[in-house]
Formats: sequence, structure tokens, C-alpha cells
Amino acid sequence: MSTPEIWLSFLCITLATVVTRSGLLLAGRRFVIPPRVESALRYAPACALAAIIAPDLAVDDGALRLGLDNPRLLAGAAGIAIFALTRSTIGTILGGMIAFWLLTFGLPG
Amino acid sequence: MSAAPSARDAFWRGVRELLPAGPGVFAWGLVTGVAMVKSGLTVAQATGFSLLAYAGSAQLAALPLIAGAAPVWVVAFTALIVNLRFVVYAAYTRGSFQHLSAGRRALLGYLVGDVMFVRYVALLTNHPDYPQRVPYYLGGAAANWVVWQVASLLGIFGADVIPTDWGLELAGTLALVALVVPLCARLPALAGVAVASAVAVAARGLPLRLGLLLAVFAGMGAALLAESRHGAARRGSSAS
Repeated sequence: MSTPEIWLSFLCITLATVVTRSGLLLAGRRFVIPPRVESALRYAPACALAAIIAPDLAVDDGALRLGLDNPRLLAGAAGIAIFALTRSTIGTILGGMIAFWLLTFGLPG
Repeated sequence: MSAAPSARDAFWRGVRELLPAGPGVFAWGLVTGVAMVKSGLTVAQATGFSLLAYAGSAQLAALPLIAGAAPVWVVAFTALIVNLRFVVYAAYTRGSFQHLSAGRRALLGYLVGDVMFVRYVALLTNHPDYPQRVPYYLGGAAANWVVWQVASLLGIFGADVIPTDWGLELAGTLALVALVVPLCARLPALAGVAVASAVAVAARGLPLRLGLLLAVFAGMGAALLAESRHGAARRGSSAS
């Protein structure tokens, strides 16, 4: 891509961000959301997060890897267990990363 | 929690409740910063991109397209699809922001992120009548913006010295894990998460990252279905 095209791409991506994030807020009351849709929206964050997380953990280079030889999947499972036990976000991040590093680079010593 | 909180208290509460996910947001910003430079953008371009778009997943999705000289409209459309989940977020928050000026609504919308949104839904679920919603939201959103941009700039300027084989992007995913686990306490949400995960993985090959959107809708549908069945079973067993 040429330099002007690159900056044009940035502007288009910014516009896509503003339209999706703020568009509905600016539409005001004219746009009515049905109650059934409204109640479905309560589940949106959990579903969106799951849809981001699952491929991050279970897919490697386009291939599905659900076995014990996938360190990212095991680190994610460790993270879930740590959060369930401790309710600590920082513990989840650190514990998961340590599990990943141990599985990837091997146990020290 | 007897007296109403001041706007200042609510702002700092928003900051405080976002910061536990800070290390994850930081790691993710760092990785995005490094990835932008490694994909061939100049430092000036990467800095401009980060400050303009402020959209981690859309930026990461756009990088291979920019590097591969895809048409600008394909780049824009991909960013639109990746960002479509924010329309769903806006549908949830719009009720709280309707009394504000158009400029303020646009700003609050622009500042939304996944972590901030989950915190905000949690606040309104636990305190449906919380009076200082806007300052709370602003506090969390500002904290997220600062952490993200600082990390992203560090990644851009330190791209040559930051190791890329440590799997740092996993820290961002783990921060999201800590957000999603407490949301799964009830059956309908758990069903939604299971279906969304399966669909996202199964549909990963779809172009323009449409699988993400498909997964969100499938998950929401599954959650609603579980809710109506679960609710019917409950009504059957109790007199209410």
C-alpha cells in the first residue's frame, strides 16, 4: 500500500469504529429496540468475550487443537481454575502466563 | 452505600474497578504496538493508527490486509465487522446516556471497550438505580484509554527490543477469561458462552472475521432459549 492509501485505511477504520460504537447512541429515541432483543442484550458481553477467547486458546495457525499438547488451551484452563478459586484478575493473568511459560519453555532445572 | 456517591467518587470507582484487568489491557496494547511496527508500518503511522482508531482487535485484523495491499474497502469492511459487537454494547448503554448532548454521547461511545462494558453491565446488574452512571463509566473508560495507549506506544517505540516469542498476547486473553467466568454463574449465560465458543471456533475460516459476529448472535440465541426453558421449569415447580 502507498502512504496515502495507508492513512486512508486508518481513517476508514476509525470511521468504522465511531459508527459502530457511537452510531446507536446518536440515533436517539427514534430507533426503538424490541423488548425481546433488549433482554438478549444482557448476554451480549459474555458471548462476545467467549467468541474472542475460544479461537485464541483452541486454534493454532488455523488448526483446531483441543489436546493436552496445546499450551495456550491448558493455560486458559489454569486461568479459569485460578479465577474460580481466588476471584483475582491479576492472579488469573499471572498464573495463566506462568503455566504457559512452564509448558512452552519447560520446567526450570 | 446509604448516601448517594459524588460524581468524583463514582469516577474513581470506575477507575478502581477497571484496573484489576490493567495488566491484561497493557499486555494486549503492547503486543498490538509491536505488531503494527513489525507488519511494516512506520513509527509515525503506527502512532497515528493507535491514537485514531483505539480499537485493538480491529487494528490487529487490519494489519495483514494493509501489509498485503488489500483494497481499502476490504480493510474498512473488515474493521466494521470486527467492531459490530460494539453496536450491541451501544444498544445496552444508550438508555443511560440519552439525556446527554450529542457530543458527549459520541465521546462515551467512542471510549467503550470490552473490559469497560463488562464492568458497566456488572454495576447496573448489582445496582440498577446507581445514580452516577456517567462518571463511573467515564472513569473506567479513561483508565482503559490511558493504559492501552501507554502500552501501545511502548510497543511501537520498543518493537525492536520487546521479545515476540513470549506469548504476551495470551495475557490479554487471560484478562478476558477473568471477565467471562463470573458472567457464567447462571445457566442461560453458560449456554450462551458454550455455543458462542463453539461457533467462533467452527466458523474461524469465514472471511472478514464474520465468525465472531455469527458466534455472538448464536450465543445470544442459545442463552435466550435456555432462559425460557429454565424459566418455564422454575414456574412449573413453584407457585410464583
